[in-house]
Amino acid sequence: MAAKSGKQKNLTKEEELLLQDFSRNVSTKSSALFYGNALIVSAIPIWLFWRIHQMDLYQSGIIFVVGTIVSTYLVSFAYKNVKFVLKHKVAQKREEAVSREMMKKLADDKKMNKKEKDERILWKKNEVADYEATTFAIFYNNALYLVLLIIASFYVLRNFNPNINYIFSVGTACGLLALFSTSTK
Amino acid sequence: MIENQTKTSFFTGISCVGRFTAKEMKFHITLFILAVTFFHGYSAEEEDAGRLLASKNVLNQYLVEGRDLTVEYRIYNIGGSAALDVKLEDDTFPEADFDVSSGSLVAKWDRIAPNTNVTHAVILRPLKYGYFNFTAATVSYLPSDKTAERQVGYTSAPGEGGIVNSREFERRFSPHVLDWLVFAVMTLPSLGIPFLLWYSSKSKYDISKPKKN
Amino acid sequence: MATNGWIIFVITLFAPLLVAGDTCLSPSVKSKYYITTEAAASVDTVFIVEFQLTCKNGLKNLNLYADINGKFLPVTITDDSKSQYQVSYSDENKNLPAGNYDVRFYDEEGYSILRKAQRSGETNDSIKPLFTIALNHPGVWKGPVVQSEFIAAVVAILVWYVAYSAKSQLQSDK
Repeated sequence: MAAKSGKQKNLTKEEELLLQDFSRNVSTKSSALFYGNALIVSAIPIWLFWRIHQMDLYQSGIIFVVGTIVSTYLVSFAYKNVKFVLKHKVAQKREEAVSREMMKKLADDKKMNKKEKDERILWKKNEVADYEATTFAIFYNNALYLVLLIIASFYVLRNFNPNINYIFSVGTACGLLALFSTSTK
Repeated sequence: MIENQTKTSFFTGISCVGRFTAKEMKFHITLFILAVTFFHGYSAEEEDAGRLLASKNVLNQYLVEGRDLTVEYRIYNIGGSAALDVKLEDDTFPEADFDVSSGSLVAKWDRIAPNTNVTHAVILRPLKYGYFNFTAATVSYLPSDKTAERQVGYTSAPGEGGIVNSREFERRFSPHVLDWLVFAVMTLPSLGIPFLLWYSSKSKYDISKPKKN
Repeated sequence: MATNGWIIFVITLFAPLLVAGDTCLSPSVKSKYYITTEAAASVDTVFIVEFQLTCKNGLKNLNLYADINGKFLPVTITDDSKSQYQVSYSDENKNLPAGNYDVRFYDEEGYSILRKAQRSGETNDSIKPLFTIALNHPGVWKGPVVQSEFIAAVVAILVWYVAYSAKSQLQSDK
């Protein structure tokens, strides 16, 4: 903690508040992005269970729909958590480069006063941190979800009835994903 | 029931289609020998006559329409002298249901010495799928050179086995390479796109290493 | 006494002919064989050698013995009208690895000489088989060496590992 505050002392309280504020209230746009991605990755198991575990699409339709909805919810929950955790760190890591870039860009603009420039830099910092944290949270959780799913359905539960296999492997994958996302490490 | 069982891997789950596992088979053979020995105890008149026991086994892990089906016959002479002019005949495979791909369903041995055994194998191709009852083949022989009367006996019967539809088998037991490739294609965008977006931003603003050293 | 001597003489005269009469002269063999190549088709490896034997001296339905892998098996006559024979041999897969196998065939006489030689501990190289059929066993396929799902799992774990190390780096304080 001491090392951190020493190195990143140029992050003011004001900035911290702003960053926090932005990350807690997920905008509708990024919320839609999360749900969309979560839906896609949650629907992928259907292919494996249909083609390889030989489940019938119509007979097991309800299980597939329910499983996908629950999984979508939990996966997007995990996205949000991981994004929130990462955003701060990313902001601290990128702020030097972002301010330098913005200063260069705004140097010629003589109409803008110092406060305005600072606001623009802060806004840009937030944007970069948000963007990186969002894309990385999606990538990381998708990768973890697929690992958990493949190991659960093809190794742990391989000898179970496909319906039970689907319910438990999708449940395990999204459940563990949500659980892991709540830890801050 | 079969569906659930066969969904386990091709080569690990043996018991799914037929009842023919290696262990079971050996067990069957022993059982059969014991049973017949006991049975023959009544009628054994001459100690020096050849006496044959025969088993018939399907060696397959999976019985599949259009694929090799291995049938193995073993004839044991447990008698006191050689069995002569031994003839093994299996007419239990209807031509409409099976093709003979290798070997012969009729086999003859001039003599089988006491305490020895002979093996005969035939490769068939089932032409239809569904359940098939594998029944006993016939063995006839002369118990000794003194008698002209042929002894007729039967081999053990492997019992009923399910022959799987070849298309079903392909679907179920193929390595699903294509399905996995499609899976890879499906997952690629959900991993690749966020990764590339993140990575491009990271490489643009990541200054920690190159600038400090 | 004279008659006895005469009989002995006749026997010695015809003895080589009698022996020759039992031996297949310049055998010509048409053969085909089957070897298990898929574990799904048989739990054991099965060799089936079928052949048609024609002798110059017109001998048919001989009692032959086959030597496969050092084991002697009586040859089965499957069709006496066509002088068609078959030898079947089976053993566990591990005892019959992929490779070339020579099946040596002996007639009754050759077989008994061979057995005698074996019993007295002599090498049997000097006894020539009547004919030999060479088999090539490509090996038994037991399914894919690596299962598709194993590859999928490994790839997924690698991708996740990249993601995990990137995440740790992002969360580090440096």
